[in-house]
Amino acid sequence: MESPASAHIARRSLLKAGAALAGALALGGPALAQAAAPAAADAPAPSLKGKTIAISVAGTDHFFDLKAYQAQIETVKELGGTPIGLDGGRNDKAIVSQLQTLLTQKPDAVIQTLGTLSVVDPWLKKLRQAGIPVFSVDLPSTNVINTATSDNFSLGAQLALQLVSDIGGKGNIVVFNGFAGVPVCEIRYNELRQVLKYYPEVKIVQPELRDVIPNTVQDAYAQITALLSKYPDKGSISAIWSAWDIPQLGATQALIAAGRTEILTYGVDGTPEVLALVKDPKAPAGAVAAQQPSLIGRTAVLNVARYLNGDTSLPSQTFLPAIVANKKNAAEVQKQLGQV
Amino acid sequence: MSLESSFESSLAAFKALHLPRAGRPAPPPEAVAAPGLSRGALAGVLRFAGLLALLAVVAFFAVRVPSFVTTGNIGLILSQSAVLGILGLGLTLVLITGGSDVIRGGIDLSLAGTLGLAAAVFATLNQAGYGDTACVAATLATGLAVGALNALSVTWLRILPLLATLAVMNICGGLELVLTENTTVPAGLPLIDALNLVGPFDLPVIGLVLVAAWLILAVTVRFTAVGLRAYAVGGHPEAARAAGIDLTRYLASSYLVAGLLGGVAGILSVAFLNAATSGSAEMLLPVIATAFLGRMFSRRLVPTVTGTLLAAVFLGALANGFQLLHVSSYWVNGIEGALILAVVGATSGLAGRGARP
Repeated sequence: MESPASAHIARRSLLKAGAALAGALALGGPALAQAAAPAAADAPAPSLKGKTIAISVAGTDHFFDLKAYQAQIETVKELGGTPIGLDGGRNDKAIVSQLQTLLTQKPDAVIQTLGTLSVVDPWLKKLRQAGIPVFSVDLPSTNVINTATSDNFSLGAQLALQLVSDIGGKGNIVVFNGFAGVPVCEIRYNELRQVLKYYPEVKIVQPELRDVIPNTVQDAYAQITALLSKYPDKGSISAIWSAWDIPQLGATQALIAAGRTEILTYGVDGTPEVLALVKDPKAPAGAVAAQQPSLIGRTAVLNVARYLNGDTSLPSQTFLPAIVANKKNAAEVQKQLGQV
Repeated sequence: MSLESSFESSLAAFKALHLPRAGRPAPPPEAVAAPGLSRGALAGVLRFAGLLALLAVVAFFAVRVPSFVTTGNIGLILSQSAVLGILGLGLTLVLITGGSDVIRGGIDLSLAGTLGLAAAVFATLNQAGYGDTACVAATLATGLAVGALNALSVTWLRILPLLATLAVMNICGGLELVLTENTTVPAGLPLIDALNLVGPFDLPVIGLVLVAAWLILAVTVRFTAVGLRAYAVGGHPEAARAAGIDLTRYLASSYLVAGLLGGVAGILSVAFLNAATSGSAEMLLPVIATAFLGRMFSRRLVPTVTGTLLAAVFLGALANGFQLLHVSSYWVNGIEGALILAVVGATSGLAGRGARP
């Protein structure tokens, strides 16, 4: 979608934005109060010279995955190491085969980005047992030394609070809940339930919808279009929530096509198209929790480098700041993330 | 090789016996002789090329990455090829018995769907609290039921295999979604753990299951009358019918066995992934590729059980070896595509030359 050149610039400015966010300077949004990111940019970068780092990713078909993956590969090269790029292409069999082969390959470290925990974890465990240090992006597990991730607990709660406040504390909401096996999605979903406990007038429409991969946008579009004809009265649905923003993209487009722009959509990631819809005053995208995938990917590699250079003080999770972009601040967030 | 030639001579005898009686006009001698020669020569080269390619790739990897040929890694390649290999073996039986005509010949497009459905049945029953025996029985029964549906559609309803199995593929995909609701269903049973162990010869049990399936099928197809008749049903149906072979029974059985193998693959897949996951439909093309690539390892460029096993392991070795060389997985897809193009091009070129008077 983006040209390589513009992607590169976006990445650079994203990193700058990350540093700015870490300094908690620029934005007045609620996400920053708890943003205690390590200053990824300022510490002297430890070397990865002569080291081979396997970068295994569930797939690279979405904005977050692709940015996180590219940043990891680039950072490994920048620190003088050799990356082994392993794109699972959203195929669990390919992901597992690639992780298995790492047992023969014996890289100096492995970073696993996303994936279904129950499928990936047994192999992360075997790698750990084989003495290979395992790290992860967005995949908390007992078998990894450190996970670089957004604080999904607070961003999940903040997104839920934004939703509840936008709909005035009452109404029916539609929820996409297809990826309960992906821990970060589960955390965001649980935070939504947690917030809704205290807003008894907000009800989740049953049954909950299942988002799918691939064809996420088309599928969400079709599901929401069908649902709208089941709930034709304005006011019968107040909002649509999904654990990431690709279903949100399809849902938002369906709402526009059906002329039901009184319904607002919510999601997580900050994919440029979605952020643009949030900014658009006429589009029914209520808010998106924007993450910094490039900074997250880079941080994961820096953590590996620190570990391989003898730093054993790494926390089990390194949280990178995320911010909820809503109708009011979306333009500002776009600028901060280098998406304009 | 002596086996194959003995098979060929018996097939030739079979043809000599039955073809004239089936009323097929004997072609003029010169029309057969010339293309027959070039066909044989080309096929010989191609068979040689197939094995040579395999050996060259293995040697290349072994030299560049010595760990490629360790027992541990060979075991990994076998277990990574197991699901694909078992499905490929199923398809091979259907291709042998159904014949190689692209449109009317035998094909089972539902195998990947059977895999997904079978895995879903296994994992859902496991989640519902059932044990090894019940899960295995239900999964294999699911595979057989899919095979029976294919067999009925092809032999009784006389739908083109291509269309019949395509429809059944969709049925499988739909039922899988009903069971899993498109989520990953984790599974954990003593059997799953056992399949994930390393067995005799330091090879993973999943890989040994593939080897066992190959042995059983190879022996059946090579050493029993069933195998010879299956080839006859696929290659020379009129002759087979004239010889008193029940074509319908053979065709139906090939789909049944393929379905059963789909069930076995489902169990192996659950073991491999510790779960039933969506996305098994993506196996469809690799399965077809494996069965077609397998022809490269047979002298007459026909589907063979051993050829398919070699093809599955070859594709597994490519993916494994390229990763060991730090080559991106994207290249492996390209190379796989190029190989298939080469094989299909060569075989259809040969067929075209043979058909021309």
